[in-house]
Amino acid sequence: MSKPKGRVAAEDPADVLLRQLLHLKKYERPEAARITRNKQNIMREVREANSQKRWSLGDLLEVNIPWFYAEPRYGIALLFIVFAGLQLWGANSREESRNRTGIYMPGSTVTSYEQTSAIATNGTSYAKLPSNFHLFPDTPQGDSSIKFVGRLEEKK
Amino acid sequence: MADDVKSNPDDELTAEGGLPDGDLVFKAQQGDLQAFDELVERYHGKIYGLTYNMTSNREDAEDLTQEVFVKAFNALPRFKGKSSFYTWVYRIAVNKTINYRKKRNRKRALSLDQFDQEIKTDDVYHDLTAKGSPLRNLSLSELQKKLNEALQTLSEKHRTVVVMHDMQGIPHEEIAKVVGSSVGTIRSRLFYARRQMQTELTEFMK
Repeated sequence: MSKPKGRVAAEDPADVLLRQLLHLKKYERPEAARITRNKQNIMREVREANSQKRWSLGDLLEVNIPWFYAEPRYGIALLFIVFAGLQLWGANSREESRNRTGIYMPGSTVTSYEQTSAIATNGTSYAKLPSNFHLFPDTPQGDSSIKFVGRLEEKK
Repeated sequence: MADDVKSNPDDELTAEGGLPDGDLVFKAQQGDLQAFDELVERYHGKIYGLTYNMTSNREDAEDLTQEVFVKAFNALPRFKGKSSFYTWVYRIAVNKTINYRKKRNRKRALSLDQFDQEIKTDDVYHDLTAKGSPLRNLSLSELQKKLNEALQTLSEKHRTVVVMHDMQGIPHEEIAKVVGSSVGTIRSRLFYARRQMQTELTEFMK
């Protein structure tokens, strides 16, 4: 601190005195040995922390590609491109795996539960049966007006 | 007092011939412990001074200084370089010290470092102990005790500003960056803190 005598006239004497008192505190000095020991303790703890440090993926990215974090817009753009690429790759793989494995997709001949109408009406929705579906054997004498309601008994 | 100090401490350190802080931080981030050791060497005195004057207890100051640097090391991968290393490590030190005191929740006994004998060659000291001064009949240790007690009556926020500005000579702008307040707030806290200290030391202010 420069000697404040030149500014004394312009300042409040109480302010000057306080400043002078606080200035004296800079002469409070720790013992050199304590400070050396303290620095050694710090570095010992730092070395221990360093040896136990497990680098997370985030830390590795941050250290090795700092621009990714320093310029978030580039980082976000890169993430978007990666995401779009993965989507495209995923879509292609799905199609390809379907073709390769030869899974048979029957299409319209399969009955399906109409989930949408069930949700809309909150009632039971029955599946539409395909036209070629036969639940029972042919009706007697080909009469279509007769409804079969019982179980067929086995011929003895 | 603060105006005499260079506004950018990094420039001051670089001018001494060592590597700039930014380079040392980069090396330390890559796992170079020697570089971190250099940073500890560079800022240990300042961080110890801050924690010591904030707590008026040298054992607490040593523990806190150690915790500050270990925390800084662990957080180094997340240091983006948006502020200087100096500002960043100071911010850690201020927050750690305030939290440390809150956890203790009671005042610790003073444990003070000795005054260096060099004080007796200081002109300010001669002025203060000259004839007619209320400090004339006060021993150095008594003066030290009164001063530290007055400092400990301040709130954490006010003490931080007084320690950083009036004792360590850090400019208002740097303090504002460290504590995350405006320069106006820092000036206002400093004004209030000085008034309160003057009240505490009123016996010397006559």
